Amino acid sequence: MSIYITGVGVISAIGLNVKENYQSLKDQKTGIKPLRFFPSEKEILAGEVKLSNEDLITQQNVTSPISRTSLLGLVAAKEAWNGNEHNTNIRTGLISATSVGGMDNTEKYYEQRLNKEKEDISLITTHDSGNTTERIASELGISGYINTISTACSSGANAIMLGARLMLQNKLDRVLVGGSDSFTNFTEKGFRSLMIYSDEWVKPFDNDRNGLNLGEGGGFILLENKKSLDITNNTPLACLAGWSNTADAYHQTASSPDGKGATLAVSKALKVANLKPADISYINAHGTGTPNNDLSESTALINVFGKDVPPFSSTKAYTGHTLAASGAIEAVYAVLALQNNVIYPNLNYSTPIADTQLVPETSWNDTNEVKTVLSNSFGFGGNNSTVIFKKVEDVH
Amino acid sequence: MYINACSTISHQNSFKNENWINELTLLNDESELITPNYKEFITPTALRRMSKIIKMSLACGKDCIEQSGIENPDAIIVGTGLGCLADTEKFLDNSLTIKGLIPPTSFIQSTHNTIAGQISLALKNHNYNVTHTQNSLSFEHALIDSILCLNEEDSNILVGSADEAIPLLGEIIDNLGFEKISKHMTSGASFFMLSNNKTNTSKAKLIDSYTVGLNNSDPKKVINEFLEQNNTSLNNIDLVLSNSFGSINISEIEELFNSTKVTPVEQYTGYHLTNAAFSMHLATETLNQDSTIKRILIYNTLNNSNIGFTLLQSLEA
Repeated sequence: MSIYITGVGVISAIGLNVKENYQSLKDQKTGIKPLRFFPSEKEILAGEVKLSNEDLITQQNVTSPISRTSLLGLVAAKEAWNGNEHNTNIRTGLISATSVGGMDNTEKYYEQRLNKEKEDISLITTHDSGNTTERIASELGISGYINTISTACSSGANAIMLGARLMLQNKLDRVLVGGSDSFTNFTEKGFRSLMIYSDEWVKPFDNDRNGLNLGEGGGFILLENKKSLDITNNTPLACLAGWSNTADAYHQTASSPDGKGATLAVSKALKVANLKPADISYINAHGTGTPNNDLSESTALINVFGKDVPPFSSTKAYTGHTLAASGAIEAVYAVLALQNNVIYPNLNYSTPIADTQLVPETSWNDTNEVKTVLSNSFGFGGNNSTVIFKKVEDVH
Repeated sequence: MYINACSTISHQNSFKNENWINELTLLNDESELITPNYKEFITPTALRRMSKIIKMSLACGKDCIEQSGIENPDAIIVGTGLGCLADTEKFLDNSLTIKGLIPPTSFIQSTHNTIAGQISLALKNHNYNVTHTQNSLSFEHALIDSILCLNEEDSNILVGSADEAIPLLGEIIDNLGFEKISKHMTSGASFFMLSNNKTNTSKAKLIDSYTVGLNNSDPKKVINEFLEQNNTSLNNIDLVLSNSFGSINISEIEELFNSTKVTPVEQYTGYHLTNAAFSMHLATETLNQDSTIKRILIYNTLNNSNIGFTLLQSLEA
């Protein structure tokens, strides 16, 4: 059975919709800038979505309190949903991924508490991650299977693969999958406490990389089976071909130097997709720009692909690391790569990592057909996930 | 699917005590979480840094491994409603009050997937590892994922859920106007080894689990649909274990199930978002020990707009 992707939606630091994101990728225009909307004492470089909460609330016509994570997710989910109608013959679900949930509102509540101001208790009601997803579901009129995945930075990829597995086992016919996370003081200070927040523009896969820049945003894709397509008449944009989720079981935050979990994730996804390593046209890497991730990921790529690592790049220097949303945002970029036969440039790269000597794609490369895209997402807790997308062959 | 091990830490004497279902006591204001000697499961150095939710989960997870003899499960799947609250609050507080460098431990341990991650680390397990967090339905979503795995190529799944109470949570629930509930906000963890294989440790069968988020139908209709999907009906259900927010409306719940006996579970476990996992352990042990009971339905409406169903059957039925 094929899993068709019939809708895509994205909001990130490089654009408020799919069209704007694609144009920024093409123009090699980063969204990582000093924060504008988030109050901070000093200058922080991050991939901020260039819209305030007030603007998002007005634009989406929703009631407060609502977390920024829900708002960003809602924008992307609505774009991917693209006005589809509900139909009792199409069992429809929603799976969203988030790491921070409503932490942006929780921070405001907690600060009021610390300052002994009058607390706005309603702010805390958006804290739980499930609430983040339910707000999106309720705006889109989705009821039934509504679920949230939280596996840190691999959450988005896990939401996508769970959707596919539910469809393969005939539990759902159509499922909107993706994720969102907003910038928070909590995560910024968190990555700083781990000494992996860079105050310079992130340099994925460069020998002199020195950490990540956080980002924020949301990404969603709409998955449909053949039964659903026959009713909706939607045109498939791409197919979901393979997936896998493995555990590194090395350390709570660091990746193993031998890239064990990542190697397993990439190999297993190829097996599920029934593809050989040589069949992969492009790898959208996790590539956060931390010394540890990029080395471990490079090692894993060499473990699987040997001397013939396919063209690869990380798009984190455009968007920043959007945590749980990253796998979902990059899934949208993967679909765009398949549709436009393009490999995205890895910004800010100049020197290969000494130990691995891998060189990412550094220019906008649209000379060859892109038939398959492999997308990596690795997270805290040793959660490693890989998703593979491919062109639509024929609808059957 | 067979339930080949179960382990629970709760306000009942449930840990490593099969007879616990016959010793149930009603929760009162003095009830406390009954915890094992964690040193039997976790090294002293690791133990010092761990919050309650991780300690409970590791102990229950390892207990399931021991009971079932399955050392390397094909997947580790966890559901948690609110995740690692103690570490989240600690880092939140530090991040807003400390100028300069903050210790990273509580940040590292604040993510929801710390629980499943720590179990994979302890077992050196490289297989499927995931965390579901859908408030009151987090456990059911973990179960549904386990069922998917068992229908794929996996044979043994370690699945469970955990939630922890912190004083701030009680205060918030109180301020939101649920004074009666806030006194009984509890911590708890329950883990299970699910398997395609019947073994000499099998206690009961898991038939199905199903969720309806943001339900907009008549609950009676949803209940019948779920039972029909599983080729059964209310007449075949011997006991309903219900999880609701405040047992005040128990008569409303009883009314949904005609003459089938309904037992509200929160009177034993208190309130946490994954207390349906406690129900599953209670149901499993009941089916294992009481031959008059063949089928138990767990009906979870802890959050009124969401419904969770889990259907269990005795080994003989």
